[in-house]
Amino acid sequence: MSDALPPDRACYVYGIVPVGTPAPEGAAGVGDPPAPVALVSYHEVAALVSEIDTSRPLGTPQDLIGHARVLDAVAAGRTPVLPFRFGAVVRDEAAVTDELLAPQEQRFLAALEGLDGLAQFTVRGTYREDRVLREILDQRPDIAQLREEVGTLSEDASRYQRIRLGELVAEELRTRARAAADELVTRLGPLATATARADSSADQPVNASFLVAEDRWEEFEDAADGLGGDWEGRIDLRLLGPLAPYDFASELVDAQGRRSWD
Amino acid sequence: MSVAPRSSNYMSRPSSSGLVDVIDLILDKGLVIDIYLRVSLVGIELLTIDARIVVASVDTYLRFAEAVNRLDITQDRSEGLPQLVNDMQEGGARHKTRGALEGVKEKVTGLVGGDDEDDGEEEQEERPRRRSRPTRKGSER
Repeated sequence: MSDALPPDRACYVYGIVPVGTPAPEGAAGVGDPPAPVALVSYHEVAALVSEIDTSRPLGTPQDLIGHARVLDAVAAGRTPVLPFRFGAVVRDEAAVTDELLAPQEQRFLAALEGLDGLAQFTVRGTYREDRVLREILDQRPDIAQLREEVGTLSEDASRYQRIRLGELVAEELRTRARAAADELVTRLGPLATATARADSSADQPVNASFLVAEDRWEEFEDAADGLGGDWEGRIDLRLLGPLAPYDFASELVDAQGRRSWD
Repeated sequence: MSVAPRSSNYMSRPSSSGLVDVIDLILDKGLVIDIYLRVSLVGIELLTIDARIVVASVDTYLRFAEAVNRLDITQDRSEGLPQLVNDMQEGGARHKTRGALEGVKEKVTGLVGGDDEDDGEEEQEERPRRRSRPTRKGSER
C-alpha cells in the first residue's frame, strides 16, 4: 500500500494490535475483492488495515463477515486486539499513524495490556419453540384455556383474543428467558474474567459474552457444553469464539486499561 | 484460525461466525473511530442497517399465538422447529434466530450485487452518522 492513495481508495481499519503482530494469514477482509490486510505501526501499537474502494458502499454480507473474520483470526491466534465498530474508514496510512495511533498510543497500549491472554466467547441460545410452548400450556391453565377459546372462533372474530394469547405467551417466554440467562451467567460467569449480558428476548433467551483467559478456554467450553446438555431439547445453544473482545473493548479503552473487574 | 473448535455434544460450535451473529457483534459494538479522528475520516455510505430492532409488536404477539395454536398437543413427539425459525441456514452452520432478524438478513443478502439503484442517494451527506444508526439504505420502514 502506498502512502498517498488515489481519491477513490481509502484505508479500512479493523482494529488495534501490539506492534509486531503478524498480519492474519488467509483471512479475507472487507472489499470486493478484499485487499490484503496490512499493519500500520507506530511505536508500540499497530492498526490492522486494508485498502478499499470508496466508490462502492460498504456493508454487504461479505464485508461484514470479512471484518469479523480478520479480527477473530487475530484473537484466535492469542493476540490481544481492540476491534473497531464496522465501517471505520480513514483517508490513508499517514492519517492512521498521525491522527489515530500517535495521539492514542498510550491509551491503546494500556487497553491491549489489559486484554493480554483474554478472548471473548459469546453464548447464544434459541428456544426449541414447540417444546417450550407445550410446557407453557401445561403449566399455565389460563393460557391453555384462552387457546381453546381462540380455537373455536374464526380468525376475524378472534383477533383480539389472539393478540392477548400471543401477548401472554410472549410474556411467559420472557420470564423464562430471564431465568435461563440468569442460570447461564451463574454457571459460566465464574470461569470468565468479565461478563457482558445482553437483554433476553422471547426469541433469543440466552445471549451473553464472556472474556475468558486462555488457560480456561477448555474449561469454559466444557461448562457451556454441560449447560447445553441440561437444556437439551428446550434451548439450543451456540458458542462463538474465541472472538475479538467486541463487547469489552470500549470500556477498556475508556478506562485507560484499568480493568473494571480487577 | 489456529484454534480448532473442540467437539461439543450439546451445542453448536460454528468454526466461523455466520452473518446473523456477525451483525450482532460488529454493528454497534467495538471502538467508534469517530471519537479519535476528525480530519481524515472518510464518510462512506454504509448499507448496514440497525439489526437490533426487536419490537414486541402486535405482529409478534400474533406470531406466538399462531405458533401456540399450531401445536398438536396430542402429538408428544413432534418437536421439530416451527418454520418461522427453521429456515436460517448459512455457510453450513445452522442458525436458529429471531424472527425479526430474518428480514434483516434477507435485506442484507438482497444487497449483494444489487446496489446500483440508489447510488447517490446519500451523497449529500458528507459524513454519515455512523455511531448509533448506520445509514439505512432505501428503507421506508
